Amino acid sequence: MQLKKWAALAAAGALAASLALFGCSSGDNGASDQPKDQNNDADAASYTLVKEGTLTVGTSPDYPPFENLDNGEYVGFDIDLAKAVADELGLECEFKTLQFDGIIPAVASGGQCDVGVSGFSVDPKRAKEVDFSDTYYIDDQAIAVMQGGSITKDNVDEALNAEGMIIAVQTGTTGADYAAENFPNATVQGFGNSTDCFAAMQSGQANAVITNKAVVEKMLEAYTEAEIVKSVATGEEYAIVVAKDNPQLTAAINEAIAKLEADGTIEELKAKNLG
Amino acid sequence: MRRTHRPLAALFAVSLLATLAVVLTCSLPQAAFGFEVAKCTARPNADTGSDVLGGVDTRITWEGQCADDESLTQLTLTLPEGTQYSLDDARVTMLTGEDLMTRVDVTVDAQMDGQTARFTFSEPTQPGGYFRIEIYDVFFPGSGGDMQLTGTYTLADESVHDIEGIPAIGVVNVSPAEQLSSWLESQDWVQQWNSNKFLRLFLNPPIIVSSFPVVFNGFLMAIGIVAVAFPLAIPFGLILALMRMARFRILRGIASLYVNVVRGTPLFLQIYIAFFGLPLAGVQIPPFPLGVIVLAMNSSAYLCEIFRAGIQSIPKGQFEASRSLGMNGAQTMLFVIIPQTVRRVIPTMTSEFILLYKDTSLLAAVGVMEVVMYAKTIVASTGSITPYIVAACFYLVITLPLAKLVGMLEAKLAGSDSGASGGGKRKKRSKKGAPAPALNEADALRRPDAMDGDFITPEQMSSL
Repeated sequence: MQLKKWAALAAAGALAASLALFGCSSGDNGASDQPKDQNNDADAASYTLVKEGTLTVGTSPDYPPFENLDNGEYVGFDIDLAKAVADELGLECEFKTLQFDGIIPAVASGGQCDVGVSGFSVDPKRAKEVDFSDTYYIDDQAIAVMQGGSITKDNVDEALNAEGMIIAVQTGTTGADYAAENFPNATVQGFGNSTDCFAAMQSGQANAVITNKAVVEKMLEAYTEAEIVKSVATGEEYAIVVAKDNPQLTAAINEAIAKLEADGTIEELKAKNLG
Repeated sequence: MRRTHRPLAALFAVSLLATLAVVLTCSLPQAAFGFEVAKCTARPNADTGSDVLGGVDTRITWEGQCADDESLTQLTLTLPEGTQYSLDDARVTMLTGEDLMTRVDVTVDAQMDGQTARFTFSEPTQPGGYFRIEIYDVFFPGSGGDMQLTGTYTLADESVHDIEGIPAIGVVNVSPAEQLSSWLESQDWVQQWNSNKFLRLFLNPPIIVSSFPVVFNGFLMAIGIVAVAFPLAIPFGLILALMRMARFRILRGIASLYVNVVRGTPLFLQIYIAFFGLPLAGVQIPPFPLGVIVLAMNSSAYLCEIFRAGIQSIPKGQFEASRSLGMNGAQTMLFVIIPQTVRRVIPTMTSEFILLYKDTSLLAAVGVMEVVMYAKTIVASTGSITPYIVAACFYLVITLPLAKLVGMLEAKLAGSDSGASGGGKRKKRSKKGAPAPALNEADALRRPDAMDGDFITPEQMSSL
């Protein structure tokens, strides 16, 4: 019995060690082998891709008008932008649905997707795990409440910053940060996506929703009894998330963004998706 | 602990005082200029909540409104002594318009002058602007306290004025965990460790340390939820089990409909319906009790089946024997069947408890702050998987000992049923001897002699 226990422990230890080693070696391989493969291509591109000839994009399609699913099709500003960038790079564009908070880990660990395009704003904390491309959109925040409640345009700053107030936010977004920083007395309640935030507010589980302005405006189409009481030009910079060990891809994407910016494509896509 | 450059800091302080003195003398004659500070806050940097910790990087956001007839050439902000900062990512935004939603492009040269951050505009700004300054990589002193920023603004006529009324930023004393975390971050072996992608993402030591106390809060919540939900589910499940075996078709129908619907739909969906549907139907229940109710209702359906199986595993002869002793249905159930059932179902019930405990994680989707929810918030802000590993540990702390317990209980049960114990022998003997009722020790102990003999009426029993 005692022997068995030790054997089991040893086996577990060995497993952990091999896992760690595997982690090491796969990391090394990724760094040394794959660029060689790519260099053999006629194309001088020296970045690595999960799937040859395809830009695999991780996104969380629950953030209209940036990304959502419409009859099973990915639509939105980020989606169009990702397609345009892939086009510039001469790659196919393939989307992969992930939870918002799972995209950065997925990009950082590699193997699942090359980039994350899901309304990510540049943030030094996130920059520890991944690289950011150049900015393609500047974002504002908005505060939405149900009409006819105690919170109005005039008293929102004081009324919402009170004990017992519940602010619904999407976990891990800059809206969540904004709520915690500017309404420290209120409870900031995190939800998985913006639809749940609004559902929570409509059902009385939350007093307000703070999230991206364009998202709020889009949600107000469905939640007609809600209204915006405050908009804040917070100016978060949206960027594409790329793995740290893939700097050439970041450079290539930056080039593509600059080009799309210059030829007016980005403006066009903004007009199309964000109204 | 972050290194502080004491001699430098002292130098800064002196130069700071000097500039302040200059500034004060300059601004005294022309007081009451219209520069209004709207806010000065720091981004919460604890892994959850609104606290601003010392010794952990944060971002200062300062906002102020310039008077209608004034245009600026320079803004300075002086950070409290002992505060480290960097202007690499600093941003100055000028907003105009009724609702301050219009951005005006301003070109700013940012310079660090000791504790003073100097933002010089390339040309005088348009009058009446609203300014926002964001300074990143700010590390307040670890000791915490109220951090008072000071600042000046320079008008187009080169007069320098103090910015008055900047609210202090309350900084919380850095927690030991955060302290350990930032200490770890500066260690060589940790940097070595983190240079491996796998280890950095899954087992990042500083994040393990800093997320542990945060996720622990969720652990208490999860324990609280099951500690209330499971005891609630037991009587409810038992009632359902009895209903499913009742003589009346309607009772049976209701119970089996309930059990089949609850077991036939994902718990996730039930949680969504309860959290977003019930309030719309006019039922307002706070998240904690609602979460408890949903989990208890879900678990009771599974417990119902466990109890039913347990009750039905008791040989029919037991019912017959008890009835023949003159007990009525309820008495038989209460005094003969259920006591035996309890022993048989305890291992399965413990497994159900483990399942229920793990299922509390699903409540994260609706904003109940339990283990996964806390882990999720940190994952979302750091992009590291490590908090999930920490969360997994908090589940294992409960589930591993319980799984072990289930194993022991099962072994004990198997032993008492068919092992070398006295009970087993007795059972074997009874099987051989008496063909009709398969006896269990509970009854055998009660009246071993009488059971072998003739029919006993209650009257006879009481006269014995």
